[in-house]
Amino acid sequence: MPNLNINGRNMSVEAANDTPLLWVIREQLQMTGTKFGCGAGLCGACTVHLNGEAVRSCQTSVADAVGKKIVTIEGLSAKGDHPLQKAWIAEQVPQCGYCQSGQIMQAAALLSKNSNPTKDEVVAHMDGNLCRCMTYSRIQKAILRAASEMRTASATGSERRPT
Amino acid sequence: MNSHVKIPQGTSADLSRRSFLVGTAATGLVLGYAAVPGVDQALAAAPAHFEPTVWYAIAPDGLVTVTCGKADMGQHIASTMAQIVAEELGANWKDMRVQLASNDPKFNDPVLGAQITGGSWSTMMNFDAMSRAGAAGRIALTEAAASAMGVPAGELVVRDSVISHPKSKKSMSFADVVKSGKATKTFTADDLKAIKLKSPEQYTMIGVSVPQIDIPYKTNGTAKYGIDVMLPGMVYGALVTPPVRYGATVKSVDDSAAKKVPGFIKVVTLDDKTGTTTGWVVAVAHTYANARKAAAALKIDYDGGPNAKLSSESLLTEAKRLQGLSDSGQFFVKDGDPDSVFGSAAKVMEAEYTTNINIHCPMEPMNATAEFKGDILHIYSGNQFATRSGAIAAGAAGIDPKYVVMHQMWLGGGFGRRLDADMMVPAVQAAKAVGKPVKVIYSRENDMTMDFSRPLTYQKIKAGMDGDGKIVALSHDVVSAWPTARWGIPDFLTPSVDKKGPLDSFTVNGADFFYTVPNHYVRAIKNEMAHNATPSGQLRSVAPGWTFWAVESMIDEIAHATGKDPALFRVELLDGKGKNDGGAQRLRNTLLAAMGLAGYGTKKLPKGEGMGVACVSSQERATASWTACVAHVAVAPSGEVTVKKLTVATDVGTQVNPDGIRAQVEGAALWGMSLALFEKATLKDGGIEQTNFDSYTPLRMSQLPEVAVNVIANGEKATGVGEPAVTVVAPAIGNAVFNAVGARVRGLPISAEAVKAAMKA
Repeated sequence: MPNLNINGRNMSVEAANDTPLLWVIREQLQMTGTKFGCGAGLCGACTVHLNGEAVRSCQTSVADAVGKKIVTIEGLSAKGDHPLQKAWIAEQVPQCGYCQSGQIMQAAALLSKNSNPTKDEVVAHMDGNLCRCMTYSRIQKAILRAASEMRTASATGSERRPT
Repeated sequence: MNSHVKIPQGTSADLSRRSFLVGTAATGLVLGYAAVPGVDQALAAAPAHFEPTVWYAIAPDGLVTVTCGKADMGQHIASTMAQIVAEELGANWKDMRVQLASNDPKFNDPVLGAQITGGSWSTMMNFDAMSRAGAAGRIALTEAAASAMGVPAGELVVRDSVISHPKSKKSMSFADVVKSGKATKTFTADDLKAIKLKSPEQYTMIGVSVPQIDIPYKTNGTAKYGIDVMLPGMVYGALVTPPVRYGATVKSVDDSAAKKVPGFIKVVTLDDKTGTTTGWVVAVAHTYANARKAAAALKIDYDGGPNAKLSSESLLTEAKRLQGLSDSGQFFVKDGDPDSVFGSAAKVMEAEYTTNINIHCPMEPMNATAEFKGDILHIYSGNQFATRSGAIAAGAAGIDPKYVVMHQMWLGGGFGRRLDADMMVPAVQAAKAVGKPVKVIYSRENDMTMDFSRPLTYQKIKAGMDGDGKIVALSHDVVSAWPTARWGIPDFLTPSVDKKGPLDSFTVNGADFFYTVPNHYVRAIKNEMAHNATPSGQLRSVAPGWTFWAVESMIDEIAHATGKDPALFRVELLDGKGKNDGGAQRLRNTLLAAMGLAGYGTKKLPKGEGMGVACVSSQERATASWTACVAHVAVAPSGEVTVKKLTVATDVGTQVNPDGIRAQVEGAALWGMSLALFEKATLKDGGIEQTNFDSYTPLRMSQLPEVAVNVIANGEKATGVGEPAVTVVAPAIGNAVFNAVGARVRGLPISAEAVKAAMKA
């Protein structure tokens, strides 16, 4: 039985090694925030983090995830208050909302490495995530808003530190 | 919408047979319409059953929960209903909650008499009923508070969920009144009608961009869609669909390899007496991953059936043949006699316009969960047409529809796809076969190849102009599969003008435009071959998505051919004469607004760039949102089209939630662009060739143009916003391409090859 570390908890799952991580997360662990969209790595709805990298969980086997830190939308923040989640609400991004867990996880991986992305960098990073409601312009605005908020928070945080 | 479906005309929906109840108990104040079964016999599939149902309830803690009878697929209609209720109720927005209705007929649309979500109808058809429901609650609460406080009700003020008496400075919250158990007023239909609603200048909620109630749940993974349903003991079904879209039969199934898959339970070959599906097989297993493995291991032998050799080319050839016959089809519009005028016209032009097959592919693949529990079949699914889908589920189960309960979920995209009920059939028959609840999830490949698609369409327009270039005659033939005729519900069809039986107006809406043309024919011709081979559905904006492609391209062609500016030519045609009075003027004003906002004709554009206009009365003459677009494009020598900017103006009468409207209009405009440039499905050997997002390619972020949305709210009645902007974009882009490089393209999607070929021609 493979052991997975997911959202900070160790869990043993009953699944063959080649089972897509997506279905283990959704069915066995009953965390349904991660969505099935295409099963082929073409839409990004199933995006989760593996050791901080955004990956398509429909293309990641359970075996590939063993020994790595998996984070899903449920584990991105304690209270749904990651700067991206707050920005998503501020910009009123979601319409049907189905792709948005994947969009947020994809964006979170960008902001964890680049807190000041240009619009072009945002587009290049997000282009693999489809939104059939076409909320793209609000997604862009929300990412730039969250990045700005994260920079402000980190600047404020460093000011408080004793020098 | 056809003339048989009632349209609200400035008055409330027909409430004559409904009595409005205000019940009371310490458990909560309950407001709702008593159920009226059999509102429409053709639609009376759903049961009159047990659940105590309501438009909204106020709990003792003061929370107001609105039950939304419309499918919420991202248009935030549940939140919109809550906003309309809250306006008249006087509730604080932070106290509002929403829940989704079951298929109990008491949740039927007050105008349509069924549970169906489409047509951009929801706000316009529920505005009055929700306003009156809200007002009735305020009156009941106020009278109860007056009695509790010992003051005249007329001296009370209701604001933000608090009822206060300014003179005595006494006040009670909604929660206090509900807890007191004193709100007991009952409203008859006449009482409801007599309620004086607020006038627009008194609004404090309507017209305000309050945050949509569903959005937070869609940022943290907690919103539950159909695919997220989990039931105790539930197992999973994976579909195997045949290589032919419709008409195949299963000759044999070899499950010997599937049996070796761990957790495999059973293979179920569907026996679909509803005719919704043909040749489908479900592999059932304890997990979805294993169900898919088992499905992949099945060896199935098919008889491809009568459509197995058909292709997009055959459907188009058949469409042209039908159009060429003088006795084809039925008339949707028959004004004057164009044929007698063409002979004497100074100039006659003819053009053919086509659109290819398009696939809905919402991000949540089709799915449904079925559970038999005692006598009741429970269905869990996000669906746009609970009234009919429940009947299809019953048909698949072989039971009376009154024993079906539909549990509505959030929809991971609808766009018309979830008006269909095909997903019910495998879920129900698999659940019946294995004796457990079964969740069937389509693979993306199942979802795309079995879509109830936007049909392939072929249109021919012939126009005659007098010596001044004025259009004196126009005849327009529309050949397509008939999506609505598939439903088998007579009320959704429209009598033909030439009394040749009902036609599917959802194939010709929009062709009955607001331009003044004295001699005007529109003929709806059913392409039976396409109808059978590619069962079609309603795809966001439906007919106006193709009729305006033809009309608005042709108007442009005529303007150019007669030496007129295409935008000003439209303004002249929108003179508001006769039956076009009112609508034509609003459309003209909207077009002028879009032109002004885009700077149309005010600046010289670089070589290879151009602006094009279009204006539409989508969705239907009776329910139009007046919408215009100026598209600004750049065309490369290769013929590749880049959209630089879409400027959209839309007259929606009254806006409930301005930010929500902008989101819908922007999404719709981008859908229009995606259909215009990027989305194309093709039929080959009876099957849809595109299977996933590598070959069927909706617009991505890198293809996003600048979009400027301008909403005109002039105090007229609220109209719909989810669809109209889809329809205006393709012709605006096509017309812009012509202005940029002189290439006229008449087929959708507009390909670089077609533009390049037209540039040379």
